[in-house]
Amino acid sequence: MDELEFRRTIYADPNCNDGNVNQAAGEDPAKLDFWNELKKLDNKIQQASQVKVPDDLAHKLILRQSMETHRKGKQRNRIHLALAASIAFVFGISFTMWQQQSHISLGEHALAHVYHEGAYALEAQEDISLQQINAKLARFGGELSEDIGQIFYANSCDFENIQSLHLVMQGEQGRVSVFVIPHSDKYSSDRNFSDGKLKGDSVDFSLVSLMIVGEQGQDVEQLKDKLKQKLQFSA
Amino acid sequence: MFSRKQSNIVSVSDDMANKQQRYQSLVYALHSDIYRYAYWLVKDKHIAEDIVQETFLRAWKSLDSLNDEKAAKSWLITILRRENARRFERKQFDLVDIDDISVADEQLSSEIKLEHRELRAIMSSLSEEYREPLMLQIVFGYSGEEIALQLDLNKNTVMTRLFRARNHIKEALEKANDDKGRKNG
Repeated sequence: MDELEFRRTIYADPNCNDGNVNQAAGEDPAKLDFWNELKKLDNKIQQASQVKVPDDLAHKLILRQSMETHRKGKQRNRIHLALAASIAFVFGISFTMWQQQSHISLGEHALAHVYHEGAYALEAQEDISLQQINAKLARFGGELSEDIGQIFYANSCDFENIQSLHLVMQGEQGRVSVFVIPHSDKYSSDRNFSDGKLKGDSVDFSLVSLMIVGEQGQDVEQLKDKLKQKLQFSA
Repeated sequence: MFSRKQSNIVSVSDDMANKQQRYQSLVYALHSDIYRYAYWLVKDKHIAEDIVQETFLRAWKSLDSLNDEKAAKSWLITILRRENARRFERKQFDLVDIDDISVADEQLSSEIKLEHRELRAIMSSLSEEYREPLMLQIVFGYSGEEIALQLDLNKNTVMTRLFRARNHIKEALEKANDDKGRKNG
């Protein structure tokens, strides 16, 4: 190991434990002296590098971290609160909507019922007597005072779990469906209702509603007036 | 259900306490060396303290990514160097004179103190490319390989820089002594 390489090696790392360096220093006392001198210098450099660390630095570092954690925790709490509020809000909204949903429209339901029963009810060929009709109306506290025209069909039906009476009778221009429905909180009744094919009207008595459904163009009003006159419901 | 929830909370706070403990151990074990390294990097005690604070805060935030405690030192140095680089992106600070620093060797004789002060002045006059590997070696006791790894340099480059750094310090010291000798003589 020549002089230059020896110097380069110990300058780069005075505390190296290189075999060649050790050997070179062992063989040449001048090299060993030089090396020891350099080690001494390095020791001084090491001491000089030990600048004073601020006394409270460790505490500051830990304090800063706890503040950060606390701040994050508060943020997280705020997020939780916001989350809970949103869930409560959505729950409230959907509960209200659900309640409103169950508040079905009588008109729509009457139309749907007519479509559902279809020909079975509308094309029935019975001729139901006044007596028979009154027997069925008695359940609703109703009575037909006189003949109102031919009644082709009279049967109990289910109106969203409410026992109702489904009638099909002769109107001026064709057959008309009439529903007798006891009042219920579930329903919101609408006066006039219609879709492309059918239209309807309603009459409210004290305990029941009548829903009268006929085809578009039929004079439902006329039958409605007739029913108003001839049908009595005892309160 | 409730008992399970409770045990979850307990384990979460256990994790938290665990993390806190790891962090505090890290602070106590390494803050002095990290601070000194920061000081030699920026040569200003206030900026050094700021950078160390930022470094440890970042370390806390990503403490979960530190899997091997043995790697903690080099991990912190990497964060610190990044923080320092970020500082230069923001703005260039005026460098403060080295004599500002209060030193740890108050109990030493004034002669040695003087010598240390002189050495510090020389060390801080080294350009950063020499000063940084030298301080990794001096402050953290890093080997040439470790410095090369930390600074992403070739090992030969590191050894050359370390050689030049000490060469410069030695020459500067000799020159100063010559000047003194001439003045005294």
